[in-house]
Amino acid sequence: MQKDLENKFLSDFESNQNIVHKICRIYTTDRDGHNDLFQEITIQVWKNYPKFRGDSKFSTWMYRVALNTAISLYRKSTRKVKTQDFSDVAFKIKVTDYDDTEEVQLKALYKAIHQLHDIDKALIFLYLEDKPYKEISETLGISNVNARVKMNRAKEKLKNILNP
Amino acid sequence: MDLLDNYKKAWKNQPEEVRKRSTVEIYKLAHSRSSSIVKWIFIIGILEFVILNSLSLFIDIDKTNEEYAKLGLENFIFYSSIMYYTILAYFLIMFYLNYKRISVIENTRVLMKKIITTRKTVKHYVIFNLAVIALIIIIVTITSVKAKFDIVSGVQIIQTFLILLVFLCLTLGVMWLFYQLLYGFLLKKLNKNYKELAKLNDLH
Repeated sequence: MQKDLENKFLSDFESNQNIVHKICRIYTTDRDGHNDLFQEITIQVWKNYPKFRGDSKFSTWMYRVALNTAISLYRKSTRKVKTQDFSDVAFKIKVTDYDDTEEVQLKALYKAIHQLHDIDKALIFLYLEDKPYKEISETLGISNVNARVKMNRAKEKLKNILNP
Repeated sequence: MDLLDNYKKAWKNQPEEVRKRSTVEIYKLAHSRSSSIVKWIFIIGILEFVILNSLSLFIDIDKTNEEYAKLGLENFIFYSSIMYYTILAYFLIMFYLNYKRISVIENTRVLMKKIITTRKTVKHYVIFNLAVIALIIIIVTITSVKAKFDIVSGVQIIQTFLILLVFLCLTLGVMWLFYQLLYGFLLKKLNKNYKELAKLNDLH
């Protein structure tokens, strides 16, 4: 039984890991931070996996666990390891027919998101991932109206950083 | 087209993570040790229970009881001990329940609120303990002064009392500072984020 659950978790998590990587990328700025947060999210998803009822999509459920971990549970590790700036590493691989302009835009976008605070980061992330307001307000525990108000402000802040 | 729409397109077309984790790696990570804030609050809370309660191990109980008997305080100590352990049990139960209630699958605001409640329970427990220590020191000192020096002058009593007060303030002050630093350090980010969300809910 436990083994089945574990296998299901591993395959669910493996196929949705890109969500986690994106969250790690917006909440941390270097490779060590990214790995630390990725580890903590993996632990939390696995710990809570038996409580996942399957009445929503696994990915929807994982957004919540991963964001909560990034916002509320994760503390920056105090390890002082010399690290390479992450924006140089993350996008080194070039995919064929991948547009250069978009690569530049993406770098600028991540750089701008890094300047937002944690709640705004979550809002912008959910916006970029095309999540409906219902899901956004339920994830953060705020009303639908507040989610819209806050989202507009976060977008304004982001626009100002991107295009001062 | 909105400025952000362009960026959103770039976001959607972003390449997949270069270093994808294999299931074996995910398995290892899932079974590694968590270093979450909640876990730290729990560990610190347990340490506080253990340290504060093991302080009494350094005291010779029989001799202390003898001293209390001499001062005529044995009844006071007996009943206050019963009360102390009842309250201690209450704190232990609350602490455990709070900790169990924390769940990362709740919405963000509720989760943060629960973490803050847990921290508050630990803080109240510490304040309670310090208050008990302070109270016992005050009562024992006053009773001893009364019992041992029948003919002390008013000035001497005031002097003793002032020294006691300064000593207590210093000890409690240092403890308070220590906790401010400890939890301030641990929960700085969380408090800030919680305020941000709480502020938002007051808007409408």
